[in-house]
Amino acid sequence: MPVPTNIEVPKGAFPATNQPSQKSMTKAERRELQERQRAAKLAQKSSAPAVNSGAKEPVTPKPKAPPTPKKFVDASGSGTNKSSVVKESGASASTAVDDGAGGKSMSRGLRIFSHFGLPKPAGHSVKGDIHPAIIRLGLLFSDFRICGSNARCIATLTAFKTVIQDYTTPSHNTLSRHLMTHLSPQITHLVAARPMSVTMGNAIRQLKLEISGSDIDVIEQDAKDALCQKIDNYIRDRIIIADEVIQELAGKKIKDGDVILTYARSSIVEKILVNAHEEGKRFSVIVVDSRPLLEGKALLRTLTKTNPPIPCTYALLPALPSLMTEVTTVLLGAHSLSANGSVYSRAGTALVAMIAKGHSVPVMVCCETYKFSEGVMLDGFGKNELAPARFSKATKHSQPLSPAPNLEVLNPLYDLTPPSCITAVVTEVGLIPPSSISSIPLALGKTNL
Amino acid sequence: MFELVKALNDGAEVLKTRSSNPISLNAGCELFIAFVTLFPHDSVNFADLKTKLVRQGQQYAAEALGYRKKIAELAVGFIKDGSVILTHSYSRVVMKTLLLAHERKRISEARPRGLGIKTAEALTAAGIPSTVILDSAVAYVMEKVDFVLVGSEAVVESGGLINAVGSNQMAIIAKAANKPFYALAESYKFHRLFPLSQYDLPNQNARIFSFPATNSTNEENSSSVASISITQEHISQNNPDVDYTRPDLISLVFSDVGSLTPEGVSQYLVGMFAG
Repeated sequence: MPVPTNIEVPKGAFPATNQPSQKSMTKAERRELQERQRAAKLAQKSSAPAVNSGAKEPVTPKPKAPPTPKKFVDASGSGTNKSSVVKESGASASTAVDDGAGGKSMSRGLRIFSHFGLPKPAGHSVKGDIHPAIIRLGLLFSDFRICGSNARCIATLTAFKTVIQDYTTPSHNTLSRHLMTHLSPQITHLVAARPMSVTMGNAIRQLKLEISGSDIDVIEQDAKDALCQKIDNYIRDRIIIADEVIQELAGKKIKDGDVILTYARSSIVEKILVNAHEEGKRFSVIVVDSRPLLEGKALLRTLTKTNPPIPCTYALLPALPSLMTEVTTVLLGAHSLSANGSVYSRAGTALVAMIAKGHSVPVMVCCETYKFSEGVMLDGFGKNELAPARFSKATKHSQPLSPAPNLEVLNPLYDLTPPSCITAVVTEVGLIPPSSISSIPLALGKTNL
Repeated sequence: MFELVKALNDGAEVLKTRSSNPISLNAGCELFIAFVTLFPHDSVNFADLKTKLVRQGQQYAAEALGYRKKIAELAVGFIKDGSVILTHSYSRVVMKTLLLAHERKRISEARPRGLGIKTAEALTAAGIPSTVILDSAVAYVMEKVDFVLVGSEAVVESGGLINAVGSNQMAIIAKAANKPFYALAESYKFHRLFPLSQYDLPNQNARIFSFPATNSTNEENSSSVASISITQEHISQNNPDVDYTRPDLISLVFSDVGSLTPEGVSQYLVGMFAG
């Protein structure tokens, strides 16, 4: 379904009149300038008759979803990109810089972390033939409505199923050759909304493999059905069934009277705890949480909803050392696991694991094998993601952190836990010490979808 | 096929309940069941398969008896003339290694301890100088020891070791004194188990480290203080048979598949079972 593209700002379309010459700017400054120009152009357009909202509204169910220019102004106003439009929408918390200061106001913090890239509002980057389901998903991603690597992977695969079903092979082409070129811009769109998770990367790689392997002589509809079936199988085998096995394995390590500590919210840890509780085990849980996302609150809600409720303690990260003496086991989730056994997970996890090691409390990381990545990560600095600034909004008790020329708010989303701080990784093939991750055949992608 | 696996599992359960210390037994059963289920068998009918499995099982058992010799061959290179070796309790594979080293004209001194009076007697009979030391004197003698050599009940997936109680403290002291700690284990003792802590071992009896219920009433309390007497039985009841040694305390594990580091053991185990 073609969607008209609305912005393609050629470089230099807006000469930088009040800026220092482009040569003297750093890369980040130049990018920022470009963003601003783009935003300014969009703001102009918003007064013009509806650019593309008409084309999308019927197919995007959520009112928030259509990426109209208006939506874009809102999103930028909440600080997800540095644009001068912010002033119009009057948002308080943003990383915006005012025109007078220009690129100079980029503080040291972001200059260091500029390679992470800031999440952009999805609406403005609709380029080419993007399926509405993908556009909707992109917005959900960039809004953190769908968060957590399992949920994102399942949502992506489900959306791709719709895309594949709606796809027709053009004449003089074969499905196995052409479908991937059709999917590539969709993937690019999702990545623009929020950097791709390792799980999505693994699943998409597998999907590509399946597409290229599909038979040319099969009727198109059959080939599409077969692909959808394969996607369903992948979700079932690598995520849902894997989760059940992990629940059972990790559940065995929970005993009556245990105190389990967990950090933020992991879907699999939540399932393990609820499941162990349903089996009649009596244990208590300490949920440690941290700003900016405060995901632990959602976990706390689920755990206390059980009948009878699981005794829970909620604490923020600074309280961790004093709580650790009470803990028998630490259960953590993971975003991905690299080949050397280090765990890439929500920022703060490394701290929890290190303190647990210091108190010789066993640390178990729960992670399906499809989250394994073949690369080796040495720190959380080379690759990371920044939380949108709207998450650093003021709470009741604290002043809003408004960025000033010499103050930048920085919220990395992930960090890396070294393998030495982890006792065991719970996967669907068993409990495994982090040093032996690389010897699991499943982790090396030796099995089929 | 499914029925067969079930029957095997039931058989293993029965064996487990009869044995006082089922950890190594469990490992053996598991290995056989894994062999039956995981490996492809090219038999035409079930009867054929059955005889084949039985034959392979017997063959393996026969081979396994030779493993000790193989391990001893591997480990003997580590024993130098005049080296002082600290060992623990009684282990056939340790004995085999020490005797083999002795045969090859290597004079070494072994210091078994605790329950190892049997070891000491056998070593003295073979002409190896040996002294028996107390459990509590391990830290004292560690300075004079060249390395520690122990047998094993089982080697677990983390690369750690399950052995007669006391091995863990020897490993800790050896680590503190920077002395190598070697374990000897036949590969059928490799066990798919991942203990997170000492209390996570299977078949622990609940009485270990449980404090006796104190009497709340005053009059009883005063009378019981006088009559407290701790017997040997009492002690052995509340004490564990085996303990778990963390992988980072172990230098090398000698087995019939080679001399492995603890990480190597865990990789071997993961590669074998986590298909």
